[in-house]
Order: sequence, then C-alpha cells, then structure tokens
Amino acid sequence: MKLYDSFRSALQSLVVNKLRSALTMLGVIIGVAAVIAMVSVGNGASQSVQNTILNLGSNLVTVTPQNATDQGLRGAGAQAQTLTIDDMHSIQDQLGDSISAAEAEQQAGRWQITAAGQNTNTTVTGVTEDYPIVRDWGLESGDFFTTSDINVNAQVAVLGSTTATNLFGDIDPVGQTIQLRQAFGGGGQGAAAQRARILNFRVVGVLGTKGSTFGLIRDDQIVVPLTTAQHVLTGQLNRVNQIVIKASSSDTIDITTSDVSNILLVRHNIDDPASADFAVTNQNDTLAAASAVTGTFTLLLGAIGGISLLVGGIGIMNIMLVSVNERTREIGIRKAVGARRGDILNQFLIEAIALTGLGGVIGILLGWAITLVVHQIPQAANLPLVITSGTVIIAVGVSVAIGVVFGLYPAMRAARLHPIQALRYE
Amino acid sequence: MTDSVVQLRGITKTYRIGREITVNALRGVDLDVRPAEFVAIMGPSGSGKSTLMNVLGCLDVADGGTYILAGENVNKLSDDKLASIRNKHVGFVFQTYNLLSRLNAIENVELPLIYGGDRKQRRERALAALEQVGLGDRIHHRPSELSGGQQQRVAIARALLNDPSMILADEPTGNLDSRSSAEILSIFQRLNDMGKTVVMVTHEPDVAAHCKRVVRMRDGLIAHDELVPRPRRAEDEIALGIGAAE
Repeated sequence: MKLYDSFRSALQSLVVNKLRSALTMLGVIIGVAAVIAMVSVGNGASQSVQNTILNLGSNLVTVTPQNATDQGLRGAGAQAQTLTIDDMHSIQDQLGDSISAAEAEQQAGRWQITAAGQNTNTTVTGVTEDYPIVRDWGLESGDFFTTSDINVNAQVAVLGSTTATNLFGDIDPVGQTIQLRQAFGGGGQGAAAQRARILNFRVVGVLGTKGSTFGLIRDDQIVVPLTTAQHVLTGQLNRVNQIVIKASSSDTIDITTSDVSNILLVRHNIDDPASADFAVTNQNDTLAAASAVTGTFTLLLGAIGGISLLVGGIGIMNIMLVSVNERTREIGIRKAVGARRGDILNQFLIEAIALTGLGGVIGILLGWAITLVVHQIPQAANLPLVITSGTVIIAVGVSVAIGVVFGLYPAMRAARLHPIQALRYE
Repeated sequence: MTDSVVQLRGITKTYRIGREITVNALRGVDLDVRPAEFVAIMGPSGSGKSTLMNVLGCLDVADGGTYILAGENVNKLSDDKLASIRNKHVGFVFQTYNLLSRLNAIENVELPLIYGGDRKQRRERALAALEQVGLGDRIHHRPSELSGGQQQRVAIARALLNDPSMILADEPTGNLDSRSSAEILSIFQRLNDMGKTVVMVTHEPDVAAHCKRVVRMRDGLIAHDELVPRPRRAEDEIALGIGAAE
C-alpha cells in the first residue's frame, strides 16, 4: 500500500468523524499551545532579565566594600570604608589598556532639588569622569563633567532625563542653576525645618533615557563629580561606595575580575582572599545566575505545558482504541482483500499522527495568538515574547512523536486482528 | 493435476472452544476445483463448510494436509504472504456484502488494487468492473444509497478487480429477495461462461441448482460430489419473471 493511499484513507476517516476528530485534536492543540505560550513567556522573561542586566553597562566588573575581617572576626553591621579613589587609580595604572574604562562612585543620599520654581526629591551620586563610558550611557544634551571639574570639586551636575523633565519641563536645563537642599536637625518639623543647607550647582548635561532596572528608575537621579560629593555633600573624604571597571570584552571579563581582586588584595595587605574587605563581582556571574533562575522558570512552565500535552496524547490513544474497535469489520474486509499487517498498522498510525500533527500546527498558531494577547497586558507590554524556531520544531516534533507513541498500541491491535474474527465482528 | 485451481489433500482443522471442548471442523478433506468450474458447497450447519470456505480463501490455515492454490503451496505461509495470495488469487463475495460504508461504490471496488497493483490503472479497471456488473451509472453512490442487490454487485465488481484465480462466494444471495438473487446468480453464471472459476457456499438447493457441480459436506468430510446434469439458467428465470430461489 502506497503512503499516499494511507494518508488519503486516514484523512477520510478523520473527516467522517469530524466532531470526534476535533475534540481529540483539542487535547493536543491545548497542550502544544500551552507549551508554546509558556516557553515563549519564559524565554521572554529570561531575555528581559538579561537586557536589564546589560542595561547597566556591558562587561562590567564591580568592586564593593565588604565587612572587614580581623583575625577571623567579621565586623558587624556597616560595610568597611576601605575602598578609595586611590584603589581605582591603582587599578587603572596597573591594568592600563587591558581594560576599557573605570569609574568610582559615592552615594550622597537624597536631596531636595529646586530650580525654576519647581522642586523634586532625588538621589545624588558622586561619580568620576568615565561614568558615561563605563555605563554605555550617552548624553541627551550638554556634556559630562571633566577631570578638571573633579580636580577643583566643581559644583556642576548632570541630570537624569526624568529629573530634568521634573525640574525644567521642556526647557533645556544645560546652563541653568539648581539648588540642592538638605534639612538637618529633624524630619522637617517646626523651626528645625528652617535650618537647611542650600548648595548651588550648575547643570552641564542631561543623560539619555535608560528606563528602569529591577524597579529602580535610573533616569531620576543627579550625578556630580566624585570629589564634589565627598567634600561638599557628604564630607566622607576619599571613600567610595563602589568601583566599576569595564573590561575590554566579555572574553577578558574573568581575567579582569581576578586581576582587580589581586591588585586590591595587595593594596589592602590581605593574604587570605576569604577575608577580603571587598567583593568583586562581574556581569557574567550575574547573567549566569539570572539565566539559571529564568531557565528553571522556563523549564517549569514548559513542564506544565508538557503535562497537558501528555493528557492530550492519552486522549488520542483512547479515541484510537475506540476507533479500532468500531472498525473491526473494516479491518477484516481490508485484510480479506489483501491488506498486510503493515498496511493496517500504517493506516491507523498515520491517522493518529495526522490528528496530532494537525493539532500541533493549530496549537502553534493558538500559542502564538496567546502570546500576542499576553502582550496586551500592560504589565507584560515590554516583555519580549520569544517564539524561537526551536520551540516550534520541538512542539511539532513532540506532537508527532505523541501520535506515534500513543497511536502505536491501537494500531498494533488493529494489525494483529485475525481476518475471520474481524469479519464476523458485529 | 497441476492444472487445478484448487487442490486439497487430507485437510484437517480443529477448533478449541473454551478449555475443554475441541471441534474437528474438517477431518481430512480432498477436493479439486478445475478452471472454469462453478461449484456449490452445501451442507447443514456444523458440517464444516464455513471452515472449508475460510481455508479455501486463505483467511485461515489448515492444521494438516496440503493446499495448493493456483500452483502455490499455501500451507505454511506467513500472515503477510497469505494476504498477498488473497489479493492476487481470491475474490471474496460475502452474504453481508462487506462494503466500507464511508467509501462510494468505485472506491470500494478499487480497494484490492490499493494493496497490490499500480495506481494509474486503478480507476479505469474499477470502472470496467462496475460496468461489467451493470453499475456503471452508480459509481459515486455510497453503499447506503444502494439496494441490497446493487451492493452485492459492487462486492462482485470488487472481487473481480485483481482478476483472481477463483471467486469465493459465501451465501451471496442469503440476504436478497428472489429477483435480486436471480440477478446475482446470472452475473456469476455469465462470469463462469467467460471462464471464471466460482466456488459458492450455500444451503439453498434452488441456488445450488444453478451451479455445474455440487459438493455436499457432512461432519467435516465430503459426503457427495456430483455434477449437475443441466444447471438452471438465472437469465431465463428473470426473463420469465420468476425468482431463482422459490
């Protein structure tokens, strides 16, 4: 029997039992759609997390202070204040051209900002001049402050785009003056509120829009020269909260990480890396950790879809068994006129595969439609929904495989029927 | 004797019913059917005629003895080999027609060629077979849209399609009125006139009277085997307006 005839015969019998075929197929359709939609959401979430991490700048090695350890006793509470701007300079000097850039930061806390009759409250951070390079963060207008600004503790500021809009609306803030106020002596009650420091800063630039990372809206901030933050805003001279080094490529990021660690261990006179008073992390680690999490998440979602696919497969087997039973006489007739076991096996197997294969294709379309609907949900609007060709191939492959696996037993039962018994079957 | 279509020697067949009871359905049957014979196999229920029919049609395998069908020994063949033998050498006509209800007439007739033969000639030959049984104008009707006699004629067309060595009919008129029965018998007689070998199981003497030879079974053995001196002609009976089996 030619394959063409097997297909024709299988499709004919599916068309004859339209409702039954449709309902049986529904199990597979839902299963495949679930796999496609869930894996696509999972992949999307994973890509979204990766984008978010890379949004902080690429190939970054970050040094943060850790609790100092003294002869095995770990200091409590606050982080050690051992990271300095000299550490950064030392790293820059020793690694030279093998790194792309480096910058150091000091948090200066939240400040009340006023300008042009508007006011806002936002964070101020002291940074060094290579901040835009390290963070892959271009300026919307104006320029970033320079080394000479840092050398003279210049009271200049670069605004985040949201902050700029909050304070100046449509006016270009570059060249304008803003006032930083910090109340001291109480939470702004009574007379105490009157006692505040007021500092004037000249706006030299506005950062481009970056969006938010892990809920932190990074466009609402002000950056000032590191030395200005240290001397004018916080009074914590020399101390920095973190040093960020940009490796020259993702291939050298691990080497850079260990280089940085070694340099600082020497500088801080620490023999045992385990008791270092700083921590060096790199983006590869962060990405790996994140993708491990999202990978598990995707696997879980895929497994849920897989279970519904399995249930659909059992439905196929059920219906195929009923169908073999119903058509016992037909099998007898076919055998009487010369059908071999293989012919009967093929006929029923192809019928099962046609059910699951068609179900698979419809399921992919439905799954795709579901991801489009998911996209309409505001919370997921900027979640990239990824349907890869791999997912589609696996879904179709799996549904056809389900047809083979769950169709094989009924088809074998059909093929093994004895022609006389099959012909006598009422 | 190699020119026989069917050569049975000492065929035995035993059935086991349940755990204890065994039935000796055939107890050593010898039978020769030569080309262009029209043989009726008769006998009461339990005489073994259905079993003989199944063995002849290669639907079942004998326990003992030898069976040579069209020069081929079919005793020890596998299921798939038997299927090819059925496809090539045997055309079945059943009492209950056994057409596939979801296929139309021509698709039913084509069925044997699906399992053997090439696809190009299929439609052509099926059409020729249907015309031979006088149903050239009903090719797209489903079995449910045809009368019993017409359905049986479709079944005969199907049996003819692979130009088998033998047409094996099991009570072909059992479900038909006398007029349709006569039509079916006249088709068999016409095919036999053209040289086809026909073996027909029946329990009606009136039907058997249309055959050239009658074999009577009793208790798993052939009891009588005689030629019919002057077989009745179904065409004449139709012309006279009387049924065959009255």
